[in-house]
Amino acid sequence: MIKVLKPGVQLTIQDFGRIGYRHLGVSKAGSLDPCAQLIANRLLGNNDNDAVLEVTVGLCELEFNCDTVIAIQGADLQAKLDDQSIYPGWTYAIKNKQVLSFAIGRAGLRAYIAVKGGVQCPLIMGSRSTDLNACFGGLDGKALNSGDCIPIKPFNGPFIKTGALAPPQRKIIRLHPSPYAKLLGKTLLHSFTSGKFKASPNSNRMGVRLVNNADNLMHTHSLPSVAVNPGSIQLPPNGEPIVLLNDAQTTGGYPLLGTVISADLHQFAQFRAADNIEFEYVTLEQARTAQHKQNAHLYQLSLALNNSNNKK
Amino acid sequence: MSSAPTIYALSNNSLLIDAAHLDANNVLTIQKKIWALAAHCKNTAEFTDLVAGMNSLTLYLKSSAGLTKWLEALPLLWDELKSSAFTGKHHLIETLYEGEDLAYVASFHNLSIDEVISIHSQAQYHVLFLGFQPGFAYLHGLDTRLHTPRRAEPRIKVPKGAVAIGAAQTGIYPSDTPGGWHIIGHTNTTLFNSTRSQPCLMQPGDTLEFVALKNQGAGA
Repeated sequence: MIKVLKPGVQLTIQDFGRIGYRHLGVSKAGSLDPCAQLIANRLLGNNDNDAVLEVTVGLCELEFNCDTVIAIQGADLQAKLDDQSIYPGWTYAIKNKQVLSFAIGRAGLRAYIAVKGGVQCPLIMGSRSTDLNACFGGLDGKALNSGDCIPIKPFNGPFIKTGALAPPQRKIIRLHPSPYAKLLGKTLLHSFTSGKFKASPNSNRMGVRLVNNADNLMHTHSLPSVAVNPGSIQLPPNGEPIVLLNDAQTTGGYPLLGTVISADLHQFAQFRAADNIEFEYVTLEQARTAQHKQNAHLYQLSLALNNSNNKK
Repeated sequence: MSSAPTIYALSNNSLLIDAAHLDANNVLTIQKKIWALAAHCKNTAEFTDLVAGMNSLTLYLKSSAGLTKWLEALPLLWDELKSSAFTGKHHLIETLYEGEDLAYVASFHNLSIDEVISIHSQAQYHVLFLGFQPGFAYLHGLDTRLHTPRRAEPRIKVPKGAVAIGAAQTGIYPSDTPGGWHIIGHTNTTLFNSTRSQPCLMQPGDTLEFVALKNQGAGA
């Protein structure tokens, strides 16, 4: 069990989220940085989809009430195990009563903690992810609070002390073209791809709101509601685009500027209010190549981990 | 007027078939074809999710390998599929018509409260699709005499079970949420329960009607 001493800004239990229920209005939920979840789990020999803890901003303190092994991935939020600094991308043995704490990051927003065997909360609709809007999943459908107890299995067997790099970040986010390109017009779309945006502080797990202090994306279109999903970029009439993330609703009536390609979407887990974001449209082929490259990175990680296991 | 829906590749593994521009007077007929298409695609087991919108369907593929095939197949399927192939369940939603905005809606339309209740509860509504919140149904069939612009100031909290009117639509709030629709009544019917094997009471293609309850509690 892990006892929450301080939850920080937002501490939730997540896995890859709910698949197959979007026609019921149920959001995907799940880790905003699924690459970080996957790498952390692989470092421990867990299943890729085992539930992890998503730490937002930092300022969080957790006390372990049993032995286990953990791996941290995602943003470097200056983690400490008791008084020792520990680092993303590595595995660490934890002893009963040790305290894991996070300060705040120099870059990045969310860190992921995987524990050996995964977080053991109940599966609801095929997932352990916390749905903060519909209030189910995780522990009672809520972000964790001080005093909450997170169920895990004790573990004190042997493990490989090893590390892994996260896939590289990109400055320019790649997009699939908008289905409403004709409606919105070339001028507006050009303004969008030539603009430099910042993530608004008003962003959350539903979406990252973008601001650029220009009014060249304002419009008056309202459309019949259409399905939206993590990666869809909505353009409300005020001209401030919203990149929808995992907790977004399943349908919406704002025109879409396009869809973030799957290989780049995880980066939105880590953008902070001051960060610059730019966009470019790419072809289906370029998006496919980008995804293959990311898969290859993760495959190499698995090969390397298998090799170290065999040498043992 | 074009008779073909528009088809887009939204990403390497998602497609949108959009028929919203075809005929605004036949929203229900077009939606019936959307349901038939969704049912057909579901049977292929090639999709993780099939999400209907207003006269549109977004298809999320399990593997990006099928993208080109489906881009080609969807227009043919649209022409072949009959829209009448699907009948859903019928739900009776027991409603206590004592909503906070009932008197406002009545006076806005120069109707009596009883007339509003009778118009609202005599119609048969079709569930076009679900979205917004788990279990929230977009309904077709609100009588034009009750179309009411949304509240100028949305409520911070509309309670679970509120039966409300927003512009040309009526609906039931599955859980407490902010909202700008006019509340005309309340129901105890649960629309969403994550622990059930069928978490949502209603499915696209179902029909429903509101049944007016008499207030039982003398002092309520």
